[in-house]
Amino acid sequence: MADRSPTLWYKDAIIYQLHVRAFCDSNNDGIGDFPGLMQKLGYLEALGINALWLMPFFPSPLRDDGYDIADYTSVHKNYGNLEEFKAFLVAAHDRGIKIIIELVANHTSDQHVWFQEARSSRDNPKRDWYVWSDTDDRYKDARIIFLDTEMSNWAWDPVSKSYYWHRFFSHQPDLNYDNPAVFDAMWGVMKFWCDIGVDGFRLDAVPYLVERDGTNCENLPETHAIIREFRKKLGEEYPDKMLLAEANQWPADVSAYFGNGDEFHMAFHFPLMPRIFMAVQLEDRKPIVEILEQTPQIPENCQWCIFLRNHDELTLEMVTDVERDYMYDEYAKDKSMRLNLGIRRRLAPMMDNDRRRIQLLNVLLMSMPGTPIIYYGDEIGMGDNIYLGDRNGVRTPMQWSGGWNSGFSGADPEKLYSPLISNPVYGYQAINVDAQTRSPHSMLNWMKRLIEVRKSSRVFSRGSIEFLTPSNHRVLAYVRQLETEKILIVNNLSSSAQAVELDLRAYKGNIPIEMSGKNLFPRIGDVPYLLTLGPYESYGFRLRRL
Amino acid sequence: MAEEFLLSDDLLRQLMSVGEVDLLVGIPSHNNAATIGQVVETIEQTFQRGFPRERVVIINVDGGSTDGTSDILRNTSVHKSSGSRGLTSLRTAHRIVTRYGSESSSGVAFRTLLAAADLLRAKACAIISPDAANLTDAWIGHLLEPIYRQNFDFVAPLYCRHKFDGLLARNLLYPMGRAIYGKRLREFHATELGFSGRLASYCLNQDVWREGPVQAAPETWMAVTSLASDFRCCQSFLGPKTQSTTASVTDIVAVVRQVVGALFWSLESQESVWIDRVGSEPIPTFGPDHELESNGMRVNRERIFELFRSGVSELSPILKSILAADTEAEIQRVAALDERNFSFDHALWTRTLFDFAAAYHHSVLNRDHVVQALVPLYRGRIYSFLLQHQDSSVDEIEADSEKLCLEFERQKPYLVEKWKVRSEVKS
Repeated sequence: MADRSPTLWYKDAIIYQLHVRAFCDSNNDGIGDFPGLMQKLGYLEALGINALWLMPFFPSPLRDDGYDIADYTSVHKNYGNLEEFKAFLVAAHDRGIKIIIELVANHTSDQHVWFQEARSSRDNPKRDWYVWSDTDDRYKDARIIFLDTEMSNWAWDPVSKSYYWHRFFSHQPDLNYDNPAVFDAMWGVMKFWCDIGVDGFRLDAVPYLVERDGTNCENLPETHAIIREFRKKLGEEYPDKMLLAEANQWPADVSAYFGNGDEFHMAFHFPLMPRIFMAVQLEDRKPIVEILEQTPQIPENCQWCIFLRNHDELTLEMVTDVERDYMYDEYAKDKSMRLNLGIRRRLAPMMDNDRRRIQLLNVLLMSMPGTPIIYYGDEIGMGDNIYLGDRNGVRTPMQWSGGWNSGFSGADPEKLYSPLISNPVYGYQAINVDAQTRSPHSMLNWMKRLIEVRKSSRVFSRGSIEFLTPSNHRVLAYVRQLETEKILIVNNLSSSAQAVELDLRAYKGNIPIEMSGKNLFPRIGDVPYLLTLGPYESYGFRLRRL
Repeated sequence: MAEEFLLSDDLLRQLMSVGEVDLLVGIPSHNNAATIGQVVETIEQTFQRGFPRERVVIINVDGGSTDGTSDILRNTSVHKSSGSRGLTSLRTAHRIVTRYGSESSSGVAFRTLLAAADLLRAKACAIISPDAANLTDAWIGHLLEPIYRQNFDFVAPLYCRHKFDGLLARNLLYPMGRAIYGKRLREFHATELGFSGRLASYCLNQDVWREGPVQAAPETWMAVTSLASDFRCCQSFLGPKTQSTTASVTDIVAVVRQVVGALFWSLESQESVWIDRVGSEPIPTFGPDHELESNGMRVNRERIFELFRSGVSELSPILKSILAADTEAEIQRVAALDERNFSFDHALWTRTLFDFAAAYHHSVLNRDHVVQALVPLYRGRIYSFLLQHQDSSVDEIEADSEKLCLEFERQKPYLVEKWKVRSEVKS
């Protein structure tokens, strides 16, 4: 029997990722805030999502969009205050929406009081909370992640006249987890938010918590030990809270972060995402099937998190050189679309705004094993602005209407934290929630129906997957199964109509019932089951033995 | 009676599943179980290393093997190229296996591959011999790349050969084809070649597939068709070619019938193309040009000379009806020479071949008999070549070959004259 314990809520979640700053501005200062977000909870509930992942909203100099935290237990004044956050949290829970927040545990901002104290003198008690060195030649085997901006993982601190370690930007010094006081402090942060009522944490940059000479300083046993300790304490005191790992690694390496079910509850499946894009462009199921076949089994209480796009560049770290070149050539012909080892674009522009392709990718997202994450705005097909620096091009204001500032803010347009998307194709006048709400066949309403289908069965969130191998490689077909419930998904990855013969003898006698229209298809027999699919078309069939 | 189709329903179903491809490699086979596994592995490694993004298919057209050739092809697993996590080839690599009957037929196999290339809209195709024991991934790449990346339509191979290997090409096909078509294409009859989807479609749509010469040597017919129809031709150096271990003197009869028959037959339909061409021009060549090596090949010269002499004697009446009187007399004269002083020189050989081509054209005898009658004379020419070049260096052989080619070009008006005379008489 499938475990229906409420502590496994994350397995059945449909997560919506957003930045408070980008969603809705209630006080007309040009920046989204918690009261504004609270106003939009009805929209999110109607969309059908049941969990929200909030990007960092803590006090910060905002040199890395909030991932440079200066105070872990407060709310950045731009977004409101702690009381407003609490009110939002209660309102979200009232609508059945769980809240997942960021825990940037690997590093702080250089403006954090901990670092300010640590750099003030070599004798300061906080000195050992960070990783210092008199030279910059330690940990030489560690790669540089932000290749476009950083030359080294060491930065010179002119105040204390020594080098400090940073795996990301130089203004984000890494915490030193060899010091137990750091662990205690971070556990204190978690307790703080758990006591307020948040439901889970996304731990940023997990593989880099600990450094050791002679290693690449990633995925070290000591890092896993720290995670296990966090999980143990969380399980003891807050058993229904969830930990989600951001570990951009190969599936076999990431799966180690599930431990024996005693580390993370969930982890992103990074290598799957680029291969979904690759498969559609190649019109060939091979990349998807290959990576999922390489994905190891994970403990029963754990779950993969899958996504199409997010706030970062579409990362191409977990692909081969051949695959990366292909992705660049196909999806980022303009060099300004590239950042680090990735592509900084949104879903709709990557799909050339082809509604059929966007829908196909969302069907894959919703029907594959794992908990899906929708990036804000992708449900209406928002565009991006590649002329904004860093990853800001995919972090523009949510497009609510065709009115003033797209309904995002009453401020003067010049005051907005970011320019709106305003081109004729993706601009807010063309792409917005209001217009799509009124059209029954809009992208938004199609997404609502898709989410409804996804939520109609736990097979999607908890079932096994078995790939079928029809000779037509442009068709990706699989059967999801949980106990006696079976769902057949058939996707045409190509731009042209396809016929496919499926070997469904294992399901002989079942009647396929198409999931969106509930129409009956012919009973499965001994002969190959013939289906024809239009370009980028998908079918979901519930297989019933009646 | 049920209508017969070139493509079986099963093959059609497999083609439908593959859809459209960029690259197609065809392997005609007949009882090649010993080597086909290695061949398919090499082809797929070529795809992984050189064409990781391309849509690719290997098609095995089998002529009724009884040794499990197709099963081996179907089941051979390929080690992935080195690369992060082994994910190097982006797409599904397809393998199609089809059988067309219980007897091997070059024409049916070749036509099936052309039809598959046409239906799959293949951009570049290669045909690889199933017993290419020394096949390397460079071979396949060199056949496909000029077509796929440089827009050529036909790629003939160049091999690194022993100086006494490839004698038919050196003494007959190359000089005659060069003089007639005006293009310096070395290999008119190769078991490995490359061609474009355009050329495949063109050839497929020609109404020639019931003709014996085309069925017997479709590769040769495609080579001359590509030259005659102004498709973009080139040649690529593939490297050493291991000679088939089953080759023997008696095979020469079959090979000459097939290849020379196809060449002579093609001259008729392409008369308007070649008849006014004068001289010759090089065609683009990739890689080292026609390397030779001088070591290690044993040839039974005495046996060749015996067969020449007995053939000239036995076929004397037939030769009289094929050859011009002075040519025939000259052949009789050299046939009487002592074998140590024997010489079948360039001028006589050229005239002989042109007489045969004209006789074939004018059908002075059954055409197959005309071609068969050439075999003993070809042996005489080969004996002369072996005798002359017993101690020659590679450069000396090449220089002599060039002289032969120039002789063919010089005497081409003789062929044209003989070709036209009877036509005018007929009309």
